[in-house]
Amino acid sequence: MNEVAIQSDGVATPDFKKIKKKQQLIRFLKGILFLMPSIILFAVFLFYPLIRTIYLSFFLTDASGSTTVFVGLDNFINMFSSPVFRKSMQSTFLFVIFTVPGTVLIGLFLAILANEKLKGIGFFRTIYSSTMGISVAAGSVFWLFLFNPTMGWLNEILNFFGIEAIGWLTDPSWALLSVSITTIWMNLGFIFLILLGGLQSIDSYLYESAEIDGASYFYKLRRITIPMLSPTLFFVITVSLINAFQTFGQIDMLTSGGPQNETNLIVYSIYQEAFMNYQYGTASAQAVVLFVIILVLTFIQFKLGEKKVHYQ
Amino acid sequence: MKKLLFICITIISIFMITACGNGESKGEETASGETESKESGEKGSDEKQEVIFWHAMGGAGQEALESTVDDFNQSQDNIQVNAEYQGSYDEALTKYQSVAGTDSAPSMMQVFEIGTMTMINSNSIVPIQEFVDSDGYDMSGLEENIINYYKIDDQFYSMPFNSSTPVMYYNKDAFEAAGLDPDTPPETFEEVAEASKIIADKNPEMKGFALQAYGWLVEQLLANQGALLMNNDNGRTDTPTEIGFTEEEGKSIFKWAEKMIADDTFANYGTNGDDMVAGFIAEDVAMFLQSSASARDVIDNAPFEVGIGFLPHPEDKDREGVVIGGASLWMMDGKPEEEQNAAWEFMKYLQTPEVQAKWHVNTGYFAINPEAYEEQVVKDAYQEMPQLQVTVDQLQATKSSYATQGAIMDMIPEARRITETALETVYNGGDVNETYQTAVDQLNQAIEQANAARGK
Repeated sequence: MNEVAIQSDGVATPDFKKIKKKQQLIRFLKGILFLMPSIILFAVFLFYPLIRTIYLSFFLTDASGSTTVFVGLDNFINMFSSPVFRKSMQSTFLFVIFTVPGTVLIGLFLAILANEKLKGIGFFRTIYSSTMGISVAAGSVFWLFLFNPTMGWLNEILNFFGIEAIGWLTDPSWALLSVSITTIWMNLGFIFLILLGGLQSIDSYLYESAEIDGASYFYKLRRITIPMLSPTLFFVITVSLINAFQTFGQIDMLTSGGPQNETNLIVYSIYQEAFMNYQYGTASAQAVVLFVIILVLTFIQFKLGEKKVHYQ
Repeated sequence: MKKLLFICITIISIFMITACGNGESKGEETASGETESKESGEKGSDEKQEVIFWHAMGGAGQEALESTVDDFNQSQDNIQVNAEYQGSYDEALTKYQSVAGTDSAPSMMQVFEIGTMTMINSNSIVPIQEFVDSDGYDMSGLEENIINYYKIDDQFYSMPFNSSTPVMYYNKDAFEAAGLDPDTPPETFEEVAEASKIIADKNPEMKGFALQAYGWLVEQLLANQGALLMNNDNGRTDTPTEIGFTEEEGKSIFKWAEKMIADDTFANYGTNGDDMVAGFIAEDVAMFLQSSASARDVIDNAPFEVGIGFLPHPEDKDREGVVIGGASLWMMDGKPEEEQNAAWEFMKYLQTPEVQAKWHVNTGYFAINPEAYEEQVVKDAYQEMPQLQVTVDQLQATKSSYATQGAIMDMIPEARRITETALETVYNGGDVNETYQTAVDQLNQAIEQANAARGK
């Protein structure tokens, strides 16, 4: 009797496990099935190119991009010892420091202004977000005219006040700043719109209670608006940081990386290496470095940001 | 909810499928539509052989080229050439790299002179020499300097087409106002610096001279003093292993710019050629160097009289002459024979004196076929714009040597960018010796890298 019971027990337990395992497998496969579309798309357009880029970064290539010589880490070693690449890294970080805080702060300022309930505020909201509708190319051409050394408005205004003309895009000490101004102007519309959306979704009862308590405007701004806006701000900062690292269009249009490589940001440098010098190996190595930088920065941001962000 | 999702997905997928399908059928439609209209237009004629011609001529050049293509299409019934603009020389070559050897590749393509080595190494072209031989075509009628450039290892890989050389443009009115002779432009570096000083002294609003930070101009200024750009006879006898110019030759250009900057007679427009031309036309600068291909454009747009002079050279060196710049036409491998033959017909058409004469006066590029200079169109144009002739004189005064034959090497595009950075550094007050040494090191490293990448 006892033996039988044990036996039957022994038979029943594995059966249970089997069924459980089977169910788990089916659930897993179902999950995969639902994820399939995005897995395939990511694999084809992101993961494969990523692996391919890492692979290429260990090789020298001919002009059509097929690998010729395996060089190991030489591409990386040459890159980090090259003054041009170091300059490019320096410019990229400077550019990020110029543009990200600038865009977010100005965007926040405009969004807070436009969040007031005033007559005709719709007009200002449209104006402030209008740069979103302008493509990078069109915006760059517009600024190219402003910066033009012969007939640019900016220099004409300076001239009017008796200040000496500035070589906006040709003077190495100005070029990066000029490109940054252009970029801030271009990205402002998007940042403004997202932040305004964030502001609009803050519950008004918070302000009402604060008002009853007699809180001042700036107190409310500091204690209610900014904390409640923090998830949106976090999103905006992350996105514009990544965007800033990947800037290409305005560089290509305005300066082509010049003068003296002062505005040769990393993505432009990758483009030059790959599609003008046909050094796909070196270009891939630079792309890998860019990938690592953005990965690390985003990771740090999430670690630091999580503590400060207030999710409702 | 599920149903809604399902409907959405279905709609999207249908949309995508039809969108793709549309694209294809649209292409077919226009293609067949074209042939139909042609057939109905010219009764009885066989279907035309289509030739896809990729080119990189923007602006005035594009207009001139397209009108030439139209003329060709109308001149005969068998071939239809479709000219497709593919962006700048660099961009067009990059696009080509990604389609080389596939069905999407064009029948023929225009590639700039420094892409010559890249094209030969690409293994996706047919040397034009094969067509020259089988057709018994005579290439000796072409301009001698052009033959010198494009004949490599005793054969033509590509058909020369648009060729230009750099010249010095100057403002004749400004010369007169400064008391200089407007008909004798300065010829040497020293004379240019001197003239700049006089002009800037007379008119503080105007700078004397502008040198665009453009690698091609440096190559030309080197050749003009007989210097080689690459060793091994500019890559003509063997693959270059390092730069070919001496320190004295290389530095002469940097020092020249430095002197004019010290005199405050130099206008810095960076790498932007358009800004420089705009500055010249707005009378901000009196002299600049630029391709002769802009001649027509500058003469037409300047509100004052434009003079054109030879490219300057250092006083202690004789003038050697200039290297052919511009582009040539390449025949693609792996295309049906009829298509290649049709493209060859078009290439031959482009060499005829009439076509070259029109091309020359409309753009400022040379006639690669010297017989064109006898055409009435050219003679009339010279009456009106004698400056155009200077560009031709300069080319014909060029001494034939390895220096003026021009360098062939696949990393020259990169070399140009290194030189441009160096020039800009000097323009912005960088030390000449240091900048020169950095540039030379980078150039040699780039050559090494290019040779290594070829597996040699």
